[in-house]
Amino acid sequence: MQARVLFFGKLKDIAGSAERCVEFRSGETISELFERCASQKPELAPFRSSVVASRNQEFAPWTAVLESGDEVAFLPPVSGG
Amino acid sequence: MTTAAPSPTADLVQLGREPIAADALIRHVRQAHDGAVVTFDGCVRNHSHGRATLYLEYESYESMAIEKMKEIAASLHTLFAIDGVAIAHRLGRLEIGETSVFIAVSAPHRKAAFDACRHAIDTLKKTVPIWKKEFFEDGAVWADGELPPLPAATPAAKPAS
Repeated sequence: MQARVLFFGKLKDIAGSAERCVEFRSGETISELFERCASQKPELAPFRSSVVASRNQEFAPWTAVLESGDEVAFLPPVSGG
Repeated sequence: MTTAAPSPTADLVQLGREPIAADALIRHVRQAHDGAVVTFDGCVRNHSHGRATLYLEYESYESMAIEKMKEIAASLHTLFAIDGVAIAHRLGRLEIGETSVFIAVSAPHRKAAFDACRHAIDTLKKTVPIWKKEFFEDGAVWADGELPPLPAATPAAKPAS
């Protein structure tokens, strides 16, 4: 199963790209998807507590279970306006 | 003669790189049955935390941001006795003094328009996925922001579209 993962703002700079496809196993959560990204890019790990996630363009809890084809974004604190 | 019930003005929500046409947004919300239009003009300041700002760059998760802006506009109608809502946010490079966000709210009476406009900008700054990078003489930083509140965990999540 595969998710499209997007990074924005500061997190995009740290991830080194705006998006990537990440493989996951059935039943995994957004939290586990973040851990997979952080295992590829350890610099992401410290940001787990200071970002929120969205799933298919809606804010989503870390415990949300993924489905194949989901679009997940990791969003640092927003600063529009 | 009776006056027909006013038809609601459709909300106008914009996210783009072109300069914001504030006059058009005001005209959009201002109807004959309104007694007030309150606007918020968010503009690029020439300093941040004591440093001189050269310019800003805004980026966004555009598909989600436009939906969140529409949700804010819709929520204003349920929270306040207002008529029309227009919300525009700019992306890309903005120079000092340019408008980055503009909100116009019309209402039959001013209090609802003031309250709704304030609520709209406060909510936008907390929940719309837009990020601002500040450029200085000696470098650039992503601006400090607010972490959007997360929904409570539920087993029924929205499927992929």
